[in-house]
Amino acid sequence: MNRPFLIFVARHSVTIALSLMFLAPLVFLFLTSMMTSNQTFTTEIWPQSWHPENYATVFEKAPLLRYLLNTVMYAVLATIFMLLSSVPAAYGLAKLRWRGRNTTMVLIICLMMLPPQVSTIPMYLFWANAGLTGTLWPAILPLLAGDAFAIFLLRQFMVTIPDEYLDAAKVDGAGEWKTMFKVVLPMARPGIAAAAMFQFFYAWNDYYYPLLYTSENQDNWTVSLGIASFKYAHHVEWELVSAATMITMIPVIVLFFFAQKAFVQGVTLTGVKG
Amino acid sequence: MPTITGGAGRYRRRLTPYTFMIPALIGLGLFLFYPLLSSIWFSFHRMHLVNLTQPPDFIGLDNWKFFFEDPNVIRAAKNTLWFVVIMVPMRIVGALITALLLNQAKRSRGFYRTLFYLPALAPPVAATVAFVLLLKPGTGPVNTLLANIGIEGPLWFNDPLWAKPSLVLLGLWGIGDLMIIFVAALLDVPVELHEAAALDGAGVWQRFRYVTLPSISPVLQFAAITGVIGMLQYFTQAAVASSVASGAVTGGGGIANTFGYPSGSTFTYPLYLYVISFGPRGLLGYASVLSVVLFVVAVTFTLILLRRFRTFLR
Amino acid sequence: MYRKLAVAAAFAGLLMGCTPSANNTPIENAGVEATGDIELWHFFTDREEKALNEILEDFKKKHPKVNLVAKGGQDDAKTTQAIGAGQGPDVAISYSTDIVGSFCAKGAWNDLAPYLNRDKIDLGKFPQVVRSYTEFRGKRCAMPFLADAYGLYYNKSMVTTPPKTLAELTELAKKLTVKDAAGNLQKVGFLPLFGFYENSPSHLAPMTGASWLKSDGTSNIGSDPKWQELIKWQKELVDWYGYEKLEAFRASLGDEWSADNAFHKGQVAMAIDGEWRMAFLRDQAKDVQFGVAPMPVSDASRYGAGYVSGSVIGVSRTSKNAEAAWALIRYLTTDTNAIVKLSNGIRNLPTTTDALASKDLVVDPEFKVFLEIFNHPATVTTPPSAVGPAYQDEFSTFLQEYQSGAQKDVPGGLAKVDSQVNNLIKLAG
Repeated sequence: MNRPFLIFVARHSVTIALSLMFLAPLVFLFLTSMMTSNQTFTTEIWPQSWHPENYATVFEKAPLLRYLLNTVMYAVLATIFMLLSSVPAAYGLAKLRWRGRNTTMVLIICLMMLPPQVSTIPMYLFWANAGLTGTLWPAILPLLAGDAFAIFLLRQFMVTIPDEYLDAAKVDGAGEWKTMFKVVLPMARPGIAAAAMFQFFYAWNDYYYPLLYTSENQDNWTVSLGIASFKYAHHVEWELVSAATMITMIPVIVLFFFAQKAFVQGVTLTGVKG
Repeated sequence: MPTITGGAGRYRRRLTPYTFMIPALIGLGLFLFYPLLSSIWFSFHRMHLVNLTQPPDFIGLDNWKFFFEDPNVIRAAKNTLWFVVIMVPMRIVGALITALLLNQAKRSRGFYRTLFYLPALAPPVAATVAFVLLLKPGTGPVNTLLANIGIEGPLWFNDPLWAKPSLVLLGLWGIGDLMIIFVAALLDVPVELHEAAALDGAGVWQRFRYVTLPSISPVLQFAAITGVIGMLQYFTQAAVASSVASGAVTGGGGIANTFGYPSGSTFTYPLYLYVISFGPRGLLGYASVLSVVLFVVAVTFTLILLRRFRTFLR
Repeated sequence: MYRKLAVAAAFAGLLMGCTPSANNTPIENAGVEATGDIELWHFFTDREEKALNEILEDFKKKHPKVNLVAKGGQDDAKTTQAIGAGQGPDVAISYSTDIVGSFCAKGAWNDLAPYLNRDKIDLGKFPQVVRSYTEFRGKRCAMPFLADAYGLYYNKSMVTTPPKTLAELTELAKKLTVKDAAGNLQKVGFLPLFGFYENSPSHLAPMTGASWLKSDGTSNIGSDPKWQELIKWQKELVDWYGYEKLEAFRASLGDEWSADNAFHKGQVAMAIDGEWRMAFLRDQAKDVQFGVAPMPVSDASRYGAGYVSGSVIGVSRTSKNAEAAWALIRYLTTDTNAIVKLSNGIRNLPTTTDALASKDLVVDPEFKVFLEIFNHPATVTTPPSAVGPAYQDEFSTFLQEYQSGAQKDVPGGLAKVDSQVNNLIKLAG
């Protein structure tokens, strides 16, 4: 056998081994979700008998449906609000000239990098005064005032759109708003899709804000909070925890396969070039 | 182009950009300036969670003095520093190796990319629960596997020495986002440079060292700085791992009671900040000191990032 | 400059926020019927929640004009957060006495003295130890909602006579421990790790009679030699097993609150636990033959004493219907029939002398052991403090480090715990 072939095999075996390692946690989680409660405390990895009914049981034992609906509401509203506020801001930063633009951009990057814990106490006080603690609104409403990461991402995307297209529209008498809607938005569709996806996933996966704002009101919990507290509600039933965990992952996986391209593009865009 | 001659028209045109920015400017005020200024203000006051909406008492520098004496701050800062020093480089190296492997696998690249990226999207709570299960001492599959080949596996999330490395494993599982950035950067490395180096007799390692690495170095630096900033807010995984792995939760004690398990080894700075504000202590004034300090550190790293990558503003 | 000042002023306005009006409405005259909506938060789940709900139904029958909503599974952190945000429940039951100090001092729970005086309730009907953990700095903002006493549980298939001294406990623990060929623990006589199930320093303190706070409210942990005695005993036993081996064993055990509790499964032969464990055992592990006894002590003269704590109940500052809230508290904490029924249902200890003497109280030999611990003169509790359980938490942090071997200097470590606790008390005000 020649050397290049050996290298090829070696290379692929590494990649394949790596793939297995990446998949193993998911597979194991799935297998556990199919076990009996007793088997989860044994070293056996393969279910002795299959119990898909665990997936139904988990809906009875915890208000998982409620959690899912809350999470969907959080993720959908957050995404819509983010787009309404951040797309114009990104356009303003990418395509318009005005005093304070660079400073604003620096501040937005600072805000993007700011750990959420830094502003937690003042924001909690703010929402307590507004009477909205105990609900998910303190996590949703801020998106009406823009999301720093989305603005940054969209701005990076819009900068790459040549000014000539915009000038052409303006020659035809279009104002800035019209130019944004008619010219830039259609061209920035992949960027907008990526920003929307990121926001959706951020909200879907979020643990911190639901923990902070809705702890005391179980009616408003999200799935992440529900799962993290599952064990805490007196019993640890690994097969049910695993089933619930699988359920939270499914929408993420499905959406990802449909919108993989937008994602990859979005991630690449936020990394820096040169 | 329509000409606007009147003064009012010019004024309006100059104001137009700001109409695009109104929500974002409100956002900056509400989420950057207001929290910062009020945190500084609170840090000189005695303020308790249970009296949140009542006017706080001024206590001068007491909170700040305590900050420098509080051993929990040192513990938490050490843990966070550990994550910065270990987790960030491990994730970068891991992502780089994966990206290099992907670039070799030409035809199946798309498939592998999907596979490696997927875990990065898994909800952190779900991923953490999965890892606690995977690394369960005694009956978990990893230790079972290790036992089969004659190695006694560690206690992972239940051992103060291994809890942080276990979280690093979890972090490595989710390197997909970095990997994608690196794959794109590697594709941008000019092929001619590689060819020229190969003609000069450079080996695989030398080409990596002298061609690939310098070309992607900005991307690596970007990943390092954002990685550090990410570690400054490392919360969910540490919180969930400790509360799920700990066996003892006295009914009603609250989930925050388990944060840091075992022996405070996963008690990061943001976790301490949360517990001291929203746990039973409710010392919001003191917690504001911790917020202000975290703010300063985070902004410092952000400014370093901005200095290095002016392209963001171009 | 002027503009900057204006901005600063605007922000200052935001910071202050609006202050919700304090609940200063004068209380009604005696005998006025309670009406309206109230919300009760408690931490009970499953079987215990069912038992509580029965009593709440009785309350509703007695007070048909009160519309009571009960929410289970709540904890102290959530209650604190909600009261702070002005959205607290009318009445909350806390699982421990830890919040009494800060809730009384900060006015999060209303002072109940006016109601007690109006309704002529005799506090002498409550044992002294119970009275002490429901008030802080002379302010009574809480009432006791059943009590818990801690003792030693032992599995009768392994233990015939329970140990009375720490030396006996150590000896028996070693004898009952089973290891496999590789030296891994299969079964443990007594699992001494702090942080395991109910092994908190507060629960184990009566073993040596160690005390927490000085009379001025500052930490006594470093200056009480009895803590060092307890730590020394515990560490020796941990080292005999090997810390690593114990941790591995502990990590393989079931959850404390599940049917897989290690004592239920016979994986530990003896354990320190509260009286409620009897109900769990009878419900979830019917085959286990268990016995109960006071916990072993260092000094035989104190044998029979234990740790007592209890759930507490209070009216939130944010309550809009304090009168009905008080009616509920009064029913749950002073009505002998209600207390006895609750005690029989949840199987916690009743807190009034009338209820303790009641003929309706179901007293089996095991329950009697806990009643005796409860009444023992040397029995202790954890004192209320303005920083809540901070003194226990800080000490526990040290103990976890010490038992793992990461921290070796006991006097130095305890001195640091003292200074930390005192600093926190000062900050909390």
